[in-house]
Amino acid sequence: MSTVVHYLNQFFAGFGGEEAADHEPVRLDGPQGPGRGLAAAGLTVDVTLACGDDFFGEHEEDALSTLLGWIEEFEADVLVCGPSFGSGRYGYACGVLAREVGRRGIPVVAAMTPDSPGVLAAEGAAHIVPTGSNVAGMREALPVIASIASRLAAGEAVGGPDDEGYLPRGLRVNALVDRTGAERAIDLLLAKLAGDVATEVAPSGDRVPPPPPVDDLASARLALVTEAGCVPQGNPDRLPTRHANVWLRYDVADADGLAPGDYESVHAGFDTTAANADPNRLVPLDAVRELERAHIVGVVHDVFYTTSGVDTPVATAARHGQEIAAELREAQVGAVILTGT
Amino acid sequence: MFVTALPTIAQMVGANRILRGVAITHPTGDPSIPPDEEHRMRVSLVRRAFEMLETDVEPRTVWELTS
Repeated sequence: MSTVVHYLNQFFAGFGGEEAADHEPVRLDGPQGPGRGLAAAGLTVDVTLACGDDFFGEHEEDALSTLLGWIEEFEADVLVCGPSFGSGRYGYACGVLAREVGRRGIPVVAAMTPDSPGVLAAEGAAHIVPTGSNVAGMREALPVIASIASRLAAGEAVGGPDDEGYLPRGLRVNALVDRTGAERAIDLLLAKLAGDVATEVAPSGDRVPPPPPVDDLASARLALVTEAGCVPQGNPDRLPTRHANVWLRYDVADADGLAPGDYESVHAGFDTTAANADPNRLVPLDAVRELERAHIVGVVHDVFYTTSGVDTPVATAARHGQEIAAELREAQVGAVILTGT
Repeated sequence: MFVTALPTIAQMVGANRILRGVAITHPTGDPSIPPDEEHRMRVSLVRRAFEMLETDVEPRTVWELTS
């Protein structure tokens, strides 16, 4: 008999909503809340663990240590987390717990929206079933969770993300096939030429229509933005050289260009020798100034925006973009040149 | 608009006005030519960027420095 452990937050365990979000971890016999739905789908939950979302967020180490202790004590064969749907804190708690339990060699199945912070937090250690943003997606998710979890608990094989309906985990799995690499490469190439492309490295699909052309550039305010890690010499604000989770702005109202003695690039993703010899090679302030003096462009914005785009998760990059765009809009900037490396 | 030496990646992520930059390590410069010439090239590149900003484009359009 395998042992199935189920993790829930305070709400789904029946303790209450936000007023119970600081509930410390508890263990309960048998299935609770969505766990009963899992039973109906063929997965019998032996033990339910629950914790308030705020408690987990504010006392992560304590919560984890208690929950992991219990999971080891029960000798869990599989852990199911959630579904947490679009809930940020619950999703995060599920993702962190899934990661830690998965790393200990115990299979984990979770369920949440693909953009939940829990997906990143899980770091590929769990099979995560994608759900809709609210509890309406429960009925659809539970049979998928139950099917994957019961096979994992029994030590049986589980297929790839597309076949089984979970999110790609970023893992390469070795498999024996009966055709040579050359044959398979030709097949892939022919399929691609025919428009049939299968990949787990899919584009984000973030499509926005092109903004209309700038009406009158000669009276527009133009801003310069870069992800090239361009900062004042010495990097006074400590822009991370990679995994940057911040962007910065620097005043260039009095500068005719980015002088090599004044600016440098701290970007960890390329050889910065040429850029540091002349930072205008990354942020073309000198050229833009010249065109400002010639009245080809109205005004160059007083500040330029910078971050280092290296190993940046798409979600973080999108947030940077939105935050910078909001400031530019506020400042009535009408045109932007963004440079990338 | 986006100046980059990797326009296919820019298209992949959904940028709409893309101008091919000189190189990954120096999108708006070129250390292989004399400084005067490089500066003129950069001004041309920025003017080309301006031209693109003033033009109606289809989604994910890529322009080169010289049309």
